[in-house]
Amino acid sequence: MRTLIKAFLTACIVSFFFTVTANAADTVKINDLINKMTYYNGRLVTVEGEAVGETLERGEYAWVNINDGSNAIGIWLTSGDAERISYFGDYKHIGDTVRITGVFSENCSEHGGDVDIHCDRMDIVCKGYVKNEVIPRTKIIAALILFGSASTVTVVYFTHRRFQSKLDARNYISK
Amino acid sequence: MKSLRPHYLSVSIISYNMGFVVLGAALLMIIPLATSLALHEWNPVLDFTLSLSVTSIIGIILIVFGRQARLKKLRAEWKHGFVVASLSWIVLMLLCSIPYVLSGNAKSILDGCFDVMSGFTTTGLVMTQDLDHLATGLNMWRHLLTFVGGQGIVVLALSFLMKNTGGAYKMYVGEAKDIGLVPSVRGTARIIWKISLIYLAVGTAALWICGMYIGLSPLPAFFHGLFMFESAWSTGGFAPYTQNIMYYHSFAYEILTIIFFVIGSLNFGLHYAVWQRKKKEMIKNIEVQSFFITSFLACAFAVYRLSQLGIYRDAVSSFRRVVYNIISAHTTTGLGSVYARQFAIEWGGFGILILIVAMLIGGSACSTAGGFKGLRVGIVFKGIIAEIKRILNPERSVRVSKFHHIKEYVLDDSIVKSSALIIICYMFLFAVCTALGVYYGYPFADSAFEAASVTGNVGLSIGVTSISMPSLMKVQYILTMYLGRLEFISVFALLGYIVEGVKKLCAHLSKRS
Ligand SMILES: [Zn+2]
Repeated sequence: MRTLIKAFLTACIVSFFFTVTANAADTVKINDLINKMTYYNGRLVTVEGEAVGETLERGEYAWVNINDGSNAIGIWLTSGDAERISYFGDYKHIGDTVRITGVFSENCSEHGGDVDIHCDRMDIVCKGYVKNEVIPRTKIIAALILFGSASTVTVVYFTHRRFQSKLDARNYISK
Repeated sequence: MKSLRPHYLSVSIISYNMGFVVLGAALLMIIPLATSLALHEWNPVLDFTLSLSVTSIIGIILIVFGRQARLKKLRAEWKHGFVVASLSWIVLMLLCSIPYVLSGNAKSILDGCFDVMSGFTTTGLVMTQDLDHLATGLNMWRHLLTFVGGQGIVVLALSFLMKNTGGAYKMYVGEAKDIGLVPSVRGTARIIWKISLIYLAVGTAALWICGMYIGLSPLPAFFHGLFMFESAWSTGGFAPYTQNIMYYHSFAYEILTIIFFVIGSLNFGLHYAVWQRKKKEMIKNIEVQSFFITSFLACAFAVYRLSQLGIYRDAVSSFRRVVYNIISAHTTTGLGSVYARQFAIEWGGFGILILIVAMLIGGSACSTAGGFKGLRVGIVFKGIIAEIKRILNPERSVRVSKFHHIKEYVLDDSIVKSSALIIICYMFLFAVCTALGVYYGYPFADSAFEAASVTGNVGLSIGVTSISMPSLMKVQYILTMYLGRLEFISVFALLGYIVEGVKKLCAHLSKRS
């Protein structure tokens, strides 16, 4: 019993410490990084955002762009890390939310003055998913009705027009 | 009743021609519709079906309303051309924004209109939200609008849809594309489109291959290539993702786009001359000279200043971050390789000033670019030199000054005057736009930067343009983009026409009573 309590307490303490360290590495909004870029330049920062688009592989490393709603930034990480991301945000998907800790540069000398973060550690906070597209029924009905009337109007007008110009031509000849 | 009769017929002509322009826009919507259909994006499919239907019904109504123009075989006059061009842009802005609003990515009709006008005028300021999750169909639509807007949408519709294009040249001038490459308008329009489409094929292929090389998968690489080409060639500035050109993290991609937007900012007359193997035109042309001198100076000053500030020290980053943005500003493209706020934070007053000047000067006349155009700057500059010469040697017989633009022109006072007047109009517009920004509490430099970007149809942003911007400013920006793109004349003609019509109507009514 005693050992059990001990184990429980240790677990509590350990988990407490983990949460503390997690809080210590507070995430920064990407837009704040940009707005205070001179301050953050060269510092270790943690950002959290949705991976969007796709991985741009460049040999052993890769680019992944993440967007946290305030802005988007490019992350330079190893291909291995990039492969751990299973969903990228686009029209049909919500991308994985990743937490990136790495060095921020306002004009990275390795990447032609890019504003980027070189990733030291990547965690997947929340897995992405395939969006299920909701199609409102009213939209379908409205589209069908309008499309029907538009095609009718167009066809009627142009047949009428052709008929009329034929008539004109005939009148012209008979004159 | 008699006094109203000719006016009524004018309205028929305008309505009839506009009907075809609107139908042209409806036909264009088939492209994004097909894209969405192919990619199984069902909501956009419905959005575009709805928009297509509404647009074509309105087009037919306008044609039927103006049927007198066809029945009586009325010919369009200059004023009609101007009015059709300027009015069509407003009507199309409303109709083309329907898919944006239906998608929910434009939060209001005003925002949708802003984005469409930004596309049409090849500006490139973005009001659409959540670009990273935008449907490919809608992205296709945005970039298509930019591409078509750059070549002149009214002209496109009229010269391809109508058999009898008697008045089309007038609409051409109305859309600020005063150019006759070959005697017939249809021929000229076809040449412009041929040049653009060949470049479109080559450019998309180049960017597609480059895209796969930098790590995009084949299908997205194709769409990226197509979109970025359309954006660059028409000096637009849209991109499919929030980060604009920074999404790609690639020097090669930047080089390709820079080539395309420089070529796109050159006069179509020049393209045609070069196609006809008159290569000397490239060097002799006053606009080319003007563009290279001003862009070289702007780049040199900016690179020097920013390296002095210690921001970009090595050559590669100077090129990718400074030269790229300066050329992008100068050609009025607006693809940005730095974040909007970086201009404010890092570039400093001098850097911003250079960008403002470059944006206001803009590209070539009769190209897809905006600004007050290299041609006018060159002419006014030569006019000043000639004037100084005249003051210094009053006794000597007056020497004729010339300038070369496709052919030799004599630099007479009326040309200098009209160029100077247009430049003054632009400066006035720029001042009004800046003033409104300052009034709403934005810093002066920021307001001026964004105003220059809007006036010159550039699209670089320093962060003023956002969804939370006051509505009045959004309206003002829309108006400014519109005026800047149509180079005032058409819009003034439209206003004059409306005033004339109202006067006649009043006179008619007072006679009756
Ligand atoms: Zn880097």
